[in-house]
Formats: sequence, structure tokens, C-alpha cells
Amino acid sequence: MTATTAASRRARPTAHRPADAGGPTLPRVVAAQWTALTSLRSSWWAAALTVVVSGVLTHLSAQASSVDPGFDPLGSLTSGVVLSQVPPLVLGVLVGTGDFSTGAFRTTYVAVPRRWPVLVAQTVATAAFALLTAVAAVAAAVLALLPSARSRDIALDLGRDGTPQTLVGMTLLLTAIALLGLAIGALVRRSVPALTAAVLLVLVLPVVLLLATDLSTDPLAPATGGVPPAVAVVNTVVAFLPSGAGALLTADVVVEGAPDLGPWGGGLVLAAWIALPLAAAALRLRTRDVV
Amino acid sequence: MIEVAALTKRYGPTTAVDGLTFTARAGAVTGFLGPNGAGKSTTMRVVVGLERPTSGTATVDGRRYADLPAPLRTVGVMLDARSVHPGRTAFRHLTALARTHGIGRARVDEVIGMTGLESVAGRRAGTFSLGMGQRLGIAAALLGDPGTLVLDEPVNGLDPDGVLWVRRLVRDLAAEGRAVLLSSHLMHELALCADRVVVIGRGRLLADAPVAELAADGSLEDAYLRLTAGAVEYQGRAVGEAGTTAVGGAR
Amino acid sequence: MGGVPATATARRARPARDPRPRGVTLGRVVASEADKLTSLRSTGWLALATVAAAAATAWGLVFARPEPGASGAPIAVAGAVLSQLGFLVLGARTGADEYRSGTARSTFAAVPRRLPVLAGQALVTAAAALVVAVTALGAAVAATAGLRAAAGLALDVTDPETARLLAGFVLHQTGVALVGLGLGALVRRPDAALVAGVLALVVLDHLLATNPGRVADTARALLPGAGARVLLDDGRLDALAAGSLGPHPGPWSGYLVLAAWAAALLAAAAYRLRRGDVT
Repeated sequence: MTATTAASRRARPTAHRPADAGGPTLPRVVAAQWTALTSLRSSWWAAALTVVVSGVLTHLSAQASSVDPGFDPLGSLTSGVVLSQVPPLVLGVLVGTGDFSTGAFRTTYVAVPRRWPVLVAQTVATAAFALLTAVAAVAAAVLALLPSARSRDIALDLGRDGTPQTLVGMTLLLTAIALLGLAIGALVRRSVPALTAAVLLVLVLPVVLLLATDLSTDPLAPATGGVPPAVAVVNTVVAFLPSGAGALLTADVVVEGAPDLGPWGGGLVLAAWIALPLAAAALRLRTRDVV
Repeated sequence: MIEVAALTKRYGPTTAVDGLTFTARAGAVTGFLGPNGAGKSTTMRVVVGLERPTSGTATVDGRRYADLPAPLRTVGVMLDARSVHPGRTAFRHLTALARTHGIGRARVDEVIGMTGLESVAGRRAGTFSLGMGQRLGIAAALLGDPGTLVLDEPVNGLDPDGVLWVRRLVRDLAAEGRAVLLSSHLMHELALCADRVVVIGRGRLLADAPVAELAADGSLEDAYLRLTAGAVEYQGRAVGEAGTTAVGGAR
Repeated sequence: MGGVPATATARRARPARDPRPRGVTLGRVVASEADKLTSLRSTGWLALATVAAAAATAWGLVFARPEPGASGAPIAVAGAVLSQLGFLVLGARTGADEYRSGTARSTFAAVPRRLPVLAGQALVTAAAALVVAVTALGAAVAATAGLRAAAGLALDVTDPETARLLAGFVLHQTGVALVGLGLGALVRRPDAALVAGVLALVVLDHLLATNPGRVADTARALLPGAGARVLLDDGRLDALAAGSLGPHPGPWSGYLVLAAWAAALLAAAAYRLRRGDVT
């Protein structure tokens, strides 16, 4: 029965309110997204896999090369990079699509109706988590070199020319790849298409292009001097893909036929690959209904 | 307080809400009724800023939802029990939500206690039954101690104990001076907890009156069926009525 | 008035009994699975994208190819590496979608013996993959016809190597789709199946190829990526065998490895389906 007479109307208990309006400020939304990210088992699996893959592959590669006379353990440092990019990439895609593929977006965007802070916060939280994972993975790679280095009595000098840059480059690469996954996921919003696109862009396309150069050169023909034009074209394209740009971050080599972007150029290309889908995702959030 | 004024929402050629105007006042429970597909959920989604109106306005305490400085502390929303990531525990889901507004853990524990979810707070939401999911949604709505509540079919899937609990909860909240807008299909239940009722059909307002007035002669259910007779979108037929064909296998 | 009609006091006659058999047959399950696949708009888009990928890659390669007079078949089938992704998604999605969307509840309530559903999915996936693969091959051949003629690259179907490459393309892509189905039905999550498939078919193979060694070459011969050997022309196969320190299976042995992976994954999925829960 209804019973809202004035006599029975009680005063609403005054809840404690913080000094400001108590609303969704950016730091708070970041804290919320961090909680959300770390509360999923898949995030921790991805982090663990990254570290394990990095360590195991580096170790195997170093062991295999340790029998060579001119063995340099640090030469195997980046052997795990390609495969250890996969878990961070998948993690980023899952964070980007998670809200929409599960329906949780209704809760998220009702709490933060201006919407853009959510995307920014997801970027910050993903970057932070990926950075921590990357540092652990790079450390694992370095540690994995120790057994083979010791077996040949070679000391690991991490301060040597090029090595600090490689270490930083590997860390940045793993972090950036996670952000790339986030950007693609936030734009596409459905996990299978987003994952397909991410995997296609980062993993499959470079292999396809490489196989294309392989096909365009007859393996049994004598080697000619100079760079065949086909190879040059493919190498240029690959340099502008996330994988090629990322490779420039970790090693200061000039790929024949490709423009000499150097690590800074590679970093910029990678940043552009992240920024563009992210901007498109932000635009979509701003102009369309959240459904 | 929720004020909807001449609200229209179109999706391409379909008009989901058509010139709807009503108010859900503070201190009262306003029931929101209508056949399936009448536009109730759409209206609620527009009120909380998930969708933008084609024309017209929907405001809470005089402001658009997106302009509120602390949305969760002003309006508590429960739209769909499936709005939780299944891989997250109930506790973490509420904590993440609370963090967006700087709401502390004490309040999270409090709403878990209020909704009776203490024993399952550490379980992943994907393992929840329908009723538990509903309670989690209500817990999320109560988190910011808001002055207004928007609840879309809150008693869906709840056991009789739960239905009674929601009825009491909603009446207590209104008695404290809050505005409650709740949609339901359970006529008898709504007659017991609502003060006013807004009936819509095919996106248009059909009635906006106190429960007592609508249920004056006969029950609320009779009044509702009378009002919405022409506005039912999906009408089933009885077995054996003209048009029903037999599928192989009748015994 | 839309209310419930009053219960009839006069008893109505029940509708006449349908004379056809009432139960679940494999044919009906296959028809049902075919319906499910073709009723999704995304299947059409996926097929289109796959065909386009195969054709575009082949077309791009004709420009890259320097010397004329050789066979045009390797170019026509070169798009396989890229288009196999589409087939993988086709299979993985078919296998995993039931569980992700909860459709499994109604599917296995209708077919409680369960295995016919997996068999139906395998048949339908293989059939769809065959159709799309033939279309993709046709598109690749057509897209490159003019350019190949200009570059002097012949496509002689009576040549055994060419025939192997063309047939191998269709069979390989179908095999990849079945690997995808096995993965999807086994792990029941489309994203995990997709990533696992790409790793096994493309990434691992490429990594092992660039880090040669006895272990690496042996692993390469045993992974599903070995199926791609059926797409390599004889010259490249010889080069591969010469440079390999491990076993070097021929093209059809390599395809058998792929087929064996598909069979093993499907068997594992069948085991899980039969013994476990479907929710």
C-alpha cells in the first residue's frame, strides 16, 4: 500500500560527500579502469605469457648459438620479441572490446557520461600494465642469456654500445603493441573482428609480404648485386607497418631498400598507428549513441 | 526528479519514442508501464545519456545527465542485468564503479550487504543466476546514494522474498524523499509499490495518473489492458485459433 | 482486447498427424548447420574479404615478378597465406560461436546426442570452404590473366605441377578451415582459437624458418604450417629440402600433416563434447 504522507516522510540520511562534487574526475576514472583491468584473469595470463615466452625463446636461441665460435650472448637478446608481442596485443584488444562485447559498457558510460575520460583512462591503465609487463619480460630475456653466457665464460655487459637502446626499445615496443591492440579494439568493439584485424596487421601481413619477395625472386638463380626493386618496395612497406617500425625501435639496422627511419622514426610510425584508430574511436564515442 | 519533455527518438524509419512528456517526482515511486517494444527502455537509456534524443529533452534535477557533476551520486541506474563483465567478481565490479566517483570501500560493502550478496561477492559475475545478477545491478544503482533511481524491471527473476525486498526498498527510498522511476510488467506488484503510473504504448503517452485513480474501478491490470489495447506490438494467439498450423509430431 | 480467451468448453479436434519421421537425422542436422552459417551476414562479408585478399595478393605479385616464361601458377596461389586467415576465422567462429552466444543450449537440447552437430559443422564448413576457395582461386586467376599474358606467364592446367598447385590451394584452404573449426569447437572461445590458429599456421612457421636448425626444421615439418608445402612449386620445394636439417616432407606429405592436425583437433573437440557439459 502507498504510504507517502508527510508524516511518514523521513529525512534522507546525509551521506558523507568529499570536498569536491564527488564526480568522475580523470584520476578517479583511471583508478577505476585500473581496477577493472587487473580484476580480470585474462590480463594476468597475458602478462605471465609475455614474460615466459620472452624468457624461454631467448634462452633457447642463446643456447643454440652458444656453440658458435663467435658467440655473442647479447645477439640473442631480441629473439623472443616477435612472439612475446602476441599476448600484449591480445590483452590490448580485450581491454578495448571488453566493455562492448560483454554489455558492461552500460555501467561504464552511465558512470562517466562524458565518455572521453573512459577512453583516456583505458589508455593510461593499459599503458601502465603493459609497461610493467614489458619490463618484466625484458628482464626475463636478459636473465635467460646468463646460462649460455656463463657456459662460455662471457660476461654480459649491458652498458655496451647499442644494448641500452635495445632494452629500452624492447620495453617500448611491447607497451606500444598493447596500446595498438587497445586502439583497434576500441574502434571495432567486437572481439573477433578486432582480433582478426590486429593479428592481420601485426603478424600476418609482414609474413605475407616477405613471402611475396621470396616468390618474386627465383631461389635457384645466381645472386645479383644491389637490391631488386621488388624487395625494396616490400621492405619500405614493412618499415611503415607496426611490425617493421617496431623492429626499428629495437635494433639500429638499415633494412636494404627501406627508408632509414631510425629508432625515432620507427617510434613515430608506431605512435601514429596507435593514435589514428584511437582518435577514430574517440570520435565514434562522441558522436554516436553508446549501444 | 526526472523530467521528460516532448522526447522523440528515431532509429532511421522507426520511431521508438514519440513526443513523450512526463515527470517522475521526488518522494514518489513512479511506475513505467507499457507493452513490449513500447519504448520504455529507450526512454530510460536517453534519460541516462547512453543515447541522444532526436528531439525533446530528458533532464534529471533540471540538468542533462551528461552535465551532472557526479552522475552516480545523483541518479542510480539499473538498465540490464547483463551489464557486467562475466570475468569480474561482483566485488571488483562494484569497486571499479565506486572508484570512478571516489566512493570508498565501506560503501561498497554496505550495498553488498543491503542486496544480500555477501556470500557471492567474491564469485565471478558470469556464474551468477538471473536473480543474483539483478541484485548486483541494484547494488550498483545504490552505490552513490543517489537522489533519483531509474530501475528497468528490477524484480525480473527474483524469488518472492526478493520481490518483497524490492518493494520495501523502493518505498523506503521514496519515503526518504528520493524519486524512483521503475518499469515492470507485474501489475499487482506495481499496484502495491507505485504512487503514480505512466503508461506508454508505441512510444506515445497513454496515461499519467495516480494508481488509485487508474485502479478506481477494477484493478490496475484491467485499466492497463484497456489503455494499451490498441498499442500491443507482439500479439500471441491461442492454440487452435485460425492461422495456427500443426507441426509434425502431435500425439 | 488482447486478453487471454476464456477456456473453451467445446473440445477442439487436434490437428492431423504429420506422416514424416519425427526425429533427428544427420541430414537434418547438416541442413540446420548450413542454415546457421548462411543466415549470418558476416559470413558473406568474410567470404568476400577472403576472395579479395587472394585476388589482390596474386595481382600485386604479378608486378613484382621479374622473369617471364615461367609458370603463372605459383603467383595465382600465392594469396593463400593471406586468405587462409579468412578460412581460419570461418572455421573458428563456426566452432566457438555456439558457446559464446549461448546458442549451444538450444542446439544441444534439439540434438542431445551432440556429435552429429560437430559432424554437421565439419561437413558444412568444408563445403563452404571449398566453395569460397574455388571462388578465390578463380578470382586470383582472373585478376592476373591479363598481366600474366603480358609478362608471358603461362597457366597450363595439364602440367602436373600446375594442377597440384591449383588443387592444393583449394585443399589447403579447406584444411585450414577445418583446423579452425577444431580449435573453435575445442577451446570454445573464438578469440583464443583465432590466435592459436594464426600462431600455429603462420607465425611459428615463419619464426622457425628464419631460425633454422635441426630442431626448428623438424618442428616445422610437424606443425600444421607444413601444409603450405602443397602450394610451393617444385623449385622452391627442392630449395627447402636442400636447406633443411630435419625431415623434409613432400607436398602431399605436408598436406597430410595439416589434415592430421585438423583430424586430431576435431577428435579432441568431439571428446570434450561427448564427455563434458555444453554450457
